[in-house]
Amino acid sequence: MFKTVAHMAYQNAFLRKSRALLLVLMIGLSMAVMVGLEGLYDGMSQHMIEKTKRSDCGDISLFAPRYRTENSIVYHISNAGKKVALLQGMKGVRDAIWRIESEGLAQTARKSRPARVVGIDVADEEKFGRYSDFLQKGSLEFGKDGAFIGNVLADKLKLLLGSKVIFSMQDSSGQLQSVALRIKAIIHTTNIMLDDRAIYISRQKLNKLLSLPPKSATQIAVLAGDTEVKTLQQHIKKAFPKLDAKRFAALYPQLKQTQQLLDVFNEISFAIVMTVVFIGILGVMYVSVLDRIREFGILLGIGYAYRYIRLQVFLEALFLALAGFVLGSVLGLLFLVYLKYHGLDLSVFSSGMSMFGLDSTIHAVIKPGYFVSTFIAIVTASLLSIFLPLRKIKRLDPIEVIRSIG
Amino acid sequence: MIRLVNVNKYFYRGDPREVHALKDVNLSIQSGEFTVITGPSGCGKTTLLNAIGVLDNVSEGEIWLEDREIAHLPATQKTDIRLNSIGFVFQAYNLVPVLTVEENIGFIMRLQGYSDEAIRIRVREVASILQIDQKLDSLPNFLSGGQQQRVAVARAVASKPKIILADEPTANLDSKNSTALMEMMKELNRKEGITILFSSHDEYVMKNARRTILLNDGAVVSS
Ligand SMILES: Nc1ncnc2c1ncn2[C@@H]1O[C@H](COP(=O)(O)OP(=O)(O)OP(=O)(O)O)[C@@H](O)[C@H]1O
Ligand SMILES: [Mg+2]
Repeated sequence: MFKTVAHMAYQNAFLRKSRALLLVLMIGLSMAVMVGLEGLYDGMSQHMIEKTKRSDCGDISLFAPRYRTENSIVYHISNAGKKVALLQGMKGVRDAIWRIESEGLAQTARKSRPARVVGIDVADEEKFGRYSDFLQKGSLEFGKDGAFIGNVLADKLKLLLGSKVIFSMQDSSGQLQSVALRIKAIIHTTNIMLDDRAIYISRQKLNKLLSLPPKSATQIAVLAGDTEVKTLQQHIKKAFPKLDAKRFAALYPQLKQTQQLLDVFNEISFAIVMTVVFIGILGVMYVSVLDRIREFGILLGIGYAYRYIRLQVFLEALFLALAGFVLGSVLGLLFLVYLKYHGLDLSVFSSGMSMFGLDSTIHAVIKPGYFVSTFIAIVTASLLSIFLPLRKIKRLDPIEVIRSIG
Repeated sequence: MIRLVNVNKYFYRGDPREVHALKDVNLSIQSGEFTVITGPSGCGKTTLLNAIGVLDNVSEGEIWLEDREIAHLPATQKTDIRLNSIGFVFQAYNLVPVLTVEENIGFIMRLQGYSDEAIRIRVREVASILQIDQKLDSLPNFLSGGQQQRVAVARAVASKPKIILADEPTANLDSKNSTALMEMMKELNRKEGITILFSSHDEYVMKNARRTILLNDGAVVSS
């Protein structure tokens, strides 16, 4: 009997060609848009996280105890080179890097701003986080007095390539130190904490300026391989019990929040699309059931049980929804593939976007989960949408229908 | 086989507010009968057939199908009786538009759970008696009114119900098609021994019946 009911449902679902087509298009298009949005949102947050990890803290960062609360180079990690080498040899570590940094003041002849100077090694950074990706202008060579500068800070200080800037800081013994630097490169990491504040100079040079022993670090960043970050964190804690090992999520709680915000966007667009699907199916099924009220009356009269009608109406809604899902999957996938490889250019909003740590071109991510969750939602929406039409039939007395014929 | 004992039916809607549509109806119909219910318009033919078919409730009295009183069963059991013991032919719109003639004829049998093969054989058998075996693959909308009614009769008889109830099955047909349908129903009655009870006010149709029940104003005048 199921076969017959399913057959009737299938035939009826696509009986009204244009009505069915319209609904399928509506479901398909809205699903494609939703899947595309989901991919973009995920793309945005993954992109933000990935760049922050590469330009700054990795999956895990190590600090000397109290450094993060006192923010003073007194609390530094000594012999960082050796520790990094040890970490690089550890299972589950893809790469590790050390940096030294200090708060201070950047000034030109006319402007000054609080900033932080970061001592880096360009070759190490390149290996760790493809540093050259972040180069906006200039070239990545420090030379004798060279420095790189975050693009937002450069704007604020009105610094161009070749401009001079003085950076003043306190060394480890509390003496004020100043250094004259020439801008060799402008760096855009999309991490606002760096772009707005960082001046990069050679690691060795900064160590000397701060009167610290060579290879002193304020931060060691670690990128995880395939191992789960939590497990790796435990391993690292065991290996370096005197250091403070923090995970990305703890270091950048605001990124976590942005991600949560994007998740909420995701859920909202999901809810909107599902409402559209729900109302669409509801409308079509309602009209279609009203159209056939006489047919249902006769069927009930000759002994077709109500539960078969319920099944039939559900299957009708489901067939329409599934047709929409198939169309939506194809369109959605095409859309996602396009967004993944070409990206979506939002340069119109680029100033606002970079505030959130985003690039102006966003590339989507594709996850099978998008399709699974829409599938579940579409089936649920079609299930919910039949209640109202079914109520019409439930209230139907076959005798009324049969009398109306004669 | 079917026995009505003091059946009364009142309607409380419309104008006049109370209509006494069936008045103390006592009737019995034997297995294998070919009976027509007749009488002027509004005399209660449809009401009577709907009562026997447990489509509609009666106000008072009993209806016995073999040794079972069926007028006061719960709704689900009535559905069951309609499905398994009674074949219906209505005046129009009997068929499921999206199913072929073959599927329509086999519909009740399928609901009853017969095998594909059993259905196939039986459908062909009744279709040939009703001379619609050439149309098995058509959809109902492509058939004439007469052919559609024959398909409806075929569906009703295919599952071999105890009785077939047909309320003015020929009302929408011209005299040629009416005659043909009556002939075929009579043949089914003779060949398969199926009990048939139908209503009509068509002179010719009435002459064909073996027994005539005359109703007037809700009461049985002669039977
Ligand atoms: N649902 C209803 N509500 C109120 N009165 C009704 C209802 N159905 C039928 N009646 C009344 O009951 C009486 C019998 O009606 P019924 O339809 O059984 O007559 P009929 O013999 O079938 O007539 P026809 O030959 O015109 O089909 C009529 O007076 C009719 O008005
Ligand atoms: Mg009538």
